Amino acid sequence: MRRMGWPVWALALGLVGWLGAAWAQPITVTDDRGRTVVMPAAPQRVVSILPSLTETVCELQQCHRLVGVDRYSNWPAAIQALPRVGGGIDPNVEAIVALRPDVVLAAVSSRGSERLEALGLKVVALEPKTHADMRRVMGTVARVLGLPAEDAERLWRHIDAAVSAAAQSLPPNVRRTKVYFEVNRAPYAAGASSFIGETLARLGAQNIVPAELGPFPKLNPEFVVRANPDVIMVGARNAPGMTERPGWERIRAVRERRVCVFANDDADTIIRPGPRLGEGARLLADCLRKHVQP
Amino acid sequence: MTTALHPIPTDAAALALAAQRLRVELGPARSRRRVLDGVDVAIRAGRWTSIVGPNGAGKSTLLRALAGLVPAQGNVSLLGRPLVQWPHRQRARTLAWLAQGGAVDAGADDLTVYDVAMLGRLPHRGWLAPPSPADHAAVEAALRQTQAWEWRERAFGTLSGGERQRVLLARLLAVQAPVLLMDEPLANLDPPHQADWVALVRALVAQGNTVVSVLHDLTIALQADELLIVAAGAVRYHGMCAARQTQQALEAVFEHRVRVVGSDVGLVVVPDVSSTPPGSLSSGTTSWNPS
Amino acid sequence: MKPSVWSLRLASAPAPLTSPTAARCWPLAAALVLAAAVLGTLGLGVGSTGIEPVWAMLADPIAAQIVWDIRAPRTLGAWAAGALLGLAGAVAQGLFRNPLADPFLLGSAAGASLTVALALAALGVSPFAATWIVRLGLTGAAFVGAVAAVLLTLALARGVQHTLRLLLAGVVVGMVLGALTSLVTLLVPDVLQAMQAFLLGSTGFVGWSACAIMMAVGTVCIGAAWALARVLDGLTLGEATAQSLGLPLAPLRLALVAVIALATGTAVAQTGLIAFVGLAAPHLVRSLVKVTHGWLVALASLMGGLLLMAADLLARGLVAPQEIPVGVLTAVLGGGYLLWLMHRRAG
Repeated sequence: MRRMGWPVWALALGLVGWLGAAWAQPITVTDDRGRTVVMPAAPQRVVSILPSLTETVCELQQCHRLVGVDRYSNWPAAIQALPRVGGGIDPNVEAIVALRPDVVLAAVSSRGSERLEALGLKVVALEPKTHADMRRVMGTVARVLGLPAEDAERLWRHIDAAVSAAAQSLPPNVRRTKVYFEVNRAPYAAGASSFIGETLARLGAQNIVPAELGPFPKLNPEFVVRANPDVIMVGARNAPGMTERPGWERIRAVRERRVCVFANDDADTIIRPGPRLGEGARLLADCLRKHVQP
Repeated sequence: MTTALHPIPTDAAALALAAQRLRVELGPARSRRRVLDGVDVAIRAGRWTSIVGPNGAGKSTLLRALAGLVPAQGNVSLLGRPLVQWPHRQRARTLAWLAQGGAVDAGADDLTVYDVAMLGRLPHRGWLAPPSPADHAAVEAALRQTQAWEWRERAFGTLSGGERQRVLLARLLAVQAPVLLMDEPLANLDPPHQADWVALVRALVAQGNTVVSVLHDLTIALQADELLIVAAGAVRYHGMCAARQTQQALEAVFEHRVRVVGSDVGLVVVPDVSSTPPGSLSSGTTSWNPS
Repeated sequence: MKPSVWSLRLASAPAPLTSPTAARCWPLAAALVLAAAVLGTLGLGVGSTGIEPVWAMLADPIAAQIVWDIRAPRTLGAWAAGALLGLAGAVAQGLFRNPLADPFLLGSAAGASLTVALALAALGVSPFAATWIVRLGLTGAAFVGAVAAVLLTLALARGVQHTLRLLLAGVVVGMVLGALTSLVTLLVPDVLQAMQAFLLGSTGFVGWSACAIMMAVGTVCIGAAWALARVLDGLTLGEATAQSLGLPLAPLRLALVAVIALATGTAVAQTGLIAFVGLAAPHLVRSLVKVTHGWLVALASLMGGLLLMAADLLARGLVAPQEIPVGVLTAVLGGGYLLWLMHRRAG
C-alpha cells in the first residue's frame, strides 16, 4: 500500500494542479461587439447591467458572484439586496468602479462600455435578440464565468424542454389562431422575426405581423383591424385604452374578449430574452389555452 | 428738369465724392425696384451739402451708394479714386457714415456710452491692439463736442432718443474722417441741440472737412452751402443754397406746398397751410368744405 | 454770438492709463475663476460613493482612481463644456444681435442628434461590423453631425450675408433633421432610450482625454473669438455701420460661425445636449458689467463653465447615489433665471 501511495498522491496532486490550472487559466472571450476580452482568471466579482444577463448568471448558479446590477434587474429575489448602479443606457461609472468588479456584463448599446474600459475594467457586451442568440449568449456567459460549456448547454436544454412542453400542452387548433402581441402603446408590435415572435411560433400560433416588417415594427392600428387577430396579448402597462381605439371593436379578439393582459412581472418575463424563456412560453401558452377555441 | 446751376468742375481733386450713371435696384428678385436711375452727383470738398427731397425719393439710398454700402451700378469715386479701389480700412478712415434711425435694435444697449463712441475708432485701431492714447483723446473730444462726456459710463440702453443720437454723432466724429455722410442726423434732437449741430458742422467745414447730410428739415437744410434735390430716383437740382433759383426749385419739387420766407434768423421753409390745394393727403376723397 | 450748448474746444486731458472697462472686468474674472476653483475642489468629494474615497485616497488605489480618474475629469469636463457653450452663446448673441440666440441656433443640436441616432442604429443592426461609425464612436458621430448641420445651414442660406436668412435656414435645418431623427427612432425603436439619455446630457462619460480635447478646442475658440470680437462690436450698431467702419464682414462672420460650430460640436459630442447654459451665461455677465465683446466672450466662458460645473455638482449630489440628468437641472435653473429676468424687466 505504501509503495503504491506515491502514484496516488502524484495523481491527486496532478488532478488538483490541473483543476487549479484550469481555474487559473486565462479566459478569452469574444463579445458581441467583436472585441476579444482576456481575463487572467475566472471572475469572482461580476457586475451586470442588463436584466437578461443578470438572470442568466443566476440561472447558472453563480448568483453569489454578482456584486452589482442595474436598476431594471428584478429577478431572482437573491439580487434584491445588491447595489444598483444605474441603467443600461446611463450606468453610474463611479458606482461600478467602486465595486471593483472583475468583469462587467453589459448590452451592446450601452454607452458606458468605452469609459469603463478606459478606466481599466473588463467589459463583455452581449445582447441576445433571437433564440439562437440566446443559446450562444448563455454559452458565452458560462465561458466568461469559467464554467464548462456543458453547464450552459444543460441550461438551454432545460429551457428548450420547457418551451416544448408549453407547446405540447396546447390543442392542435392553436395553429389556426392569429395572435397580435403589442409591446408598446405607439403601437409597436412583436413581429414574427422578433424574440417573442419566435416563441409564439414555437407554440404554434400565427403572428399577424409577418417577418418582413422587422422585429418590432410600429404599426398603423388599422393594420391590426384588417388582420383581425383572434387573440391579443399586451402588458398591463400598455393595456388601458387599447380596446377603445377607433375601429377596434370590430376585431374578433375584442368582440369575443380574447385579450390577455399580463401583469408587469409576467410581462417582464416574456419580453426578456433571458433564461426565463421557458416560463415566458408557459405564460403565453396559458393565455392561448384560455382563449383558443376548442 | 435737371438743371445744374454751376458746371460740374472737371478738376477731380476738388470733388470729395462723385458718381456717374449711378443705378441702384433694391428688393427681392421678383419685385426689384429701381430706386436710383442713372444719377450723376458731384460733391465738392470742403463744403456742406444738404440732400433733400420728398419721401421715398431715394435720398438715403443715394447716401448709402456714395458710402459704398449698397450694391450699385455705375461709378462712385472718393477723393478722385474709384471707391472699389480703396482698401477697406483706408476708406473707413476717410469716409464716415451715420445711419438713419439711430440703432433701432437693442444690439448696443449693454455697451457704455464711451464704448459706443470708441467704436468709431475701429478703422484706426490695430487689429489686436487695445485703444491707444490717440484713440482715447479722439473719443473724449467727440463726446465733449456732443455734450455726452458727463455720462460716458452710462449704459447706452438707458438713454433717451435724443441722448442716443448725440452718442451716435460722437461715434461718427470719433472717426475723424475728412468726409462725413449723415442720414437724418437731427432725429430726436431738440431745437437747441439742432442749432448746435449746425454750428458743429460749420466748424468742421471751416477746418476743411466735407459734410453731406440728408435732412427732412428744410429750414436747416438751407443753412448748408449747397443743396441737392432728389425726387423719384433722380437728381432734380444741385445749386448753392443762397441762390434764389435754389429756393424756387425747392418750392417746385414740393409742388408749391412749401414756402421759403426770409426772417431775422435767415431763410425759413414752412409748409403752406394758407389754402386747401386740389388733391389732399388722402387723394380720391372730396375736399372738406367748412361752410 | 449766442453761447453754444456744445463746446467746440478740444479737451487736452491726458488719456486714462487703463480703460475703465478693464477696471470693471478683472475683479469679475478673478471671482469667477475663484468660484470655479472652489466648486472644482468640492466636486472631488461629490459622487455616488460620497466623500469616503477622498479620505481613503492614499491607502486605496480604487478610491484614488474614483477621485482622480472619474470625479476630477468629470468636474473639469463640466467646466470645459460649460465654457465652450457660454462662449458659443456669447458669439451667437453678438452675431445675430438677438438676446435669445443660443449655441444651437444653426441646427447643430439636431445634426448631432441625427448622427447619434444613426450611430446607435448602426451599432444595433450590425454589432460585429467595424464600420466607420462604430470606429468613430458616438462622440465622433455627434461632433460630425453638429458641424455638418451648420455647414448645411450655411449652404442653405448661401453664405453669411443675410442674418435673417441664416437664422431661418438654421430653424429649417433643425426641424428637418429633427424629423429625420424621429424617423430613425421609429425604424429602430431600440435607440429611443439611448437617444433620450443623449438628449438630456450628462458628464458621466467624460475622461481625461475628453477634457484635453475640450480644453484644446476651447483655447482655440476663445482666441479666435477674442481676435474677432471687434466684428461683434461693430455689428451692435447694425450691419451697414459695421461695413462703413471698414470691417470685412463676410469672411469674418464666416469665421465666427465656424467658432460657434466648433465649440458647440465639441461640447455636444462629450456631454450631449445641455440647454440654457449658452443662453444664460452671456446674460448673466451683462447683468453684472457692461462690456464690449472682447471681454464678454471671455467672461461668458468663465460664467458658463461655472454654471455647468455647479449644475453638475447638484446633479451628482442631490439624490446620491442616483443622478439627475444635468440637462434637467440646467433647464430648471436657466428657466428660473430667465423668468426672474422677465419679472424684473416688467416691474
